[in-house]
Amino acid sequence: MSTNDKVHCVVVTPEKTELDTTCDMLVLPLFDGELAIQPGRAPMVGRLGFGMMRVRDGSTVTEWFVDGGFVQVTRQGVNVLTDRLLKAEQIDRKEAEEDLNRAMLIKASSPESLALKERSVTQAQAKIRLAK
Amino acid sequence: MANIRQLDKRRKSVKNIRKITRTMELISTGRFKKAMDRASAATDYTKRITAIVQDLAKSGTEVSHPLLVQHDKIDSIDMLVLTANRGLCGGYNGSVVRAAIARRAEIKQQIESGEISVSGKRGISAMRYAGIPIEKSYTEFDDKPSFSAVARIADDLIERYITGKVDRVDVAYTRFVSSSKQVAIVETLLPFSSLELPTASTPTASTPGSVEASSDGASGNKEDYEFLPSASAILEEVVPASFRARLFKCFLDAAVSEQIARMVAMKSATENAGDIIKSLSRRYNRARQSKITQEIMEIIGGVEALG
Repeated sequence: MSTNDKVHCVVVTPEKTELDTTCDMLVLPLFDGELAIQPGRAPMVGRLGFGMMRVRDGSTVTEWFVDGGFVQVTRQGVNVLTDRLLKAEQIDRKEAEEDLNRAMLIKASSPESLALKERSVTQAQAKIRLAK
Repeated sequence: MANIRQLDKRRKSVKNIRKITRTMELISTGRFKKAMDRASAATDYTKRITAIVQDLAKSGTEVSHPLLVQHDKIDSIDMLVLTANRGLCGGYNGSVVRAAIARRAEIKQQIESGEISVSGKRGISAMRYAGIPIEKSYTEFDDKPSFSAVARIADDLIERYITGKVDRVDVAYTRFVSSSKQVAIVETLLPFSSLELPTASTPTASTPGSVEASSDGASGNKEDYEFLPSASAILEEVVPASFRARLFKCFLDAAVSEQIARMVAMKSATENAGDIIKSLSRRYNRARQSKITQEIMEIIGGVEALG
């Protein structure tokens, strides 16, 4: 509950509810930079980028890779909707590199396809950056 | 004499078959439960995404996205057919393929172009048999379809739709209605219409699902949201995301339905094997009895001839 001194955070993917926990602070990769959510954050809906999500509870910090999606902050808690939630070691670097190559080959002839290309490229790049 | 031995042999083989079908029934029961759990776990995402859409609509955002726009001229229709990799599941594959072929015939009357993609070995061979060219075939989807694999297909379709290569996308699959009812249907996925939006003027026209989402979700107690970067930019992402979730749901439905179909088919196969065993046993016993009687008759006849 964000009204208390903890943030209630739920991460759901289309497959299942991946994470349902409380923490002191949640750091999310938004489309243009990082966003930290502490208890009592005003309600918001934001678009997520691709990158590292950090959940800090006490002195422990858990890190996850978030594959785009949205975050919704309500008075009750934080809902994170993402396509995939991965541990850094679960990222397949080779696959990400292949994705990047494929994304680079997309012909950007219209605004829509340009947006698609940019999206695919940033997604693959974020993955490669975080892959161990 | 040979007849008795034959009957016994047949009875033994039917017994073996019954063992196999019963095991298959048990396996698919287990798989069905797992698939069912996965399907229900997936509803959480849809529920939350609906809640976000509701909040966006409440903030008075104009809803527009290339995926929601119907193309003026329909020149090309893609179809995705979801079948199983394995048989022995009753009419499951047959009904999906039949529905798909019927829809294709309908489409072909007006439009020539369009790709057909098939998932599942059974569907692939059925389509090949029907002489229908398959553009892409997938065999990696079993009872546990993974979202990332489905998302790839979805992204592919989104790209084709947005760039205007295709003007409509249909999907033929078995929809899970309840555990006793599954129907093979062909649905139009793109242009995307299942994003239920209450418009600003008619806020009451929401789906039962979304009502539920707003009553148990946070949006019930009117919150003023801050949108980052903006409500319309979020919407741009929400539409493809819910399309991917929608397609994923088709795959999950198909997986659950397949297991149910196999369960039912194997259950009736086991029962049928039981019936066959019963009638074979009866025939076997009768033949054995008449053989004994005949032997006694022969002995008696022999004794009488001697005496």
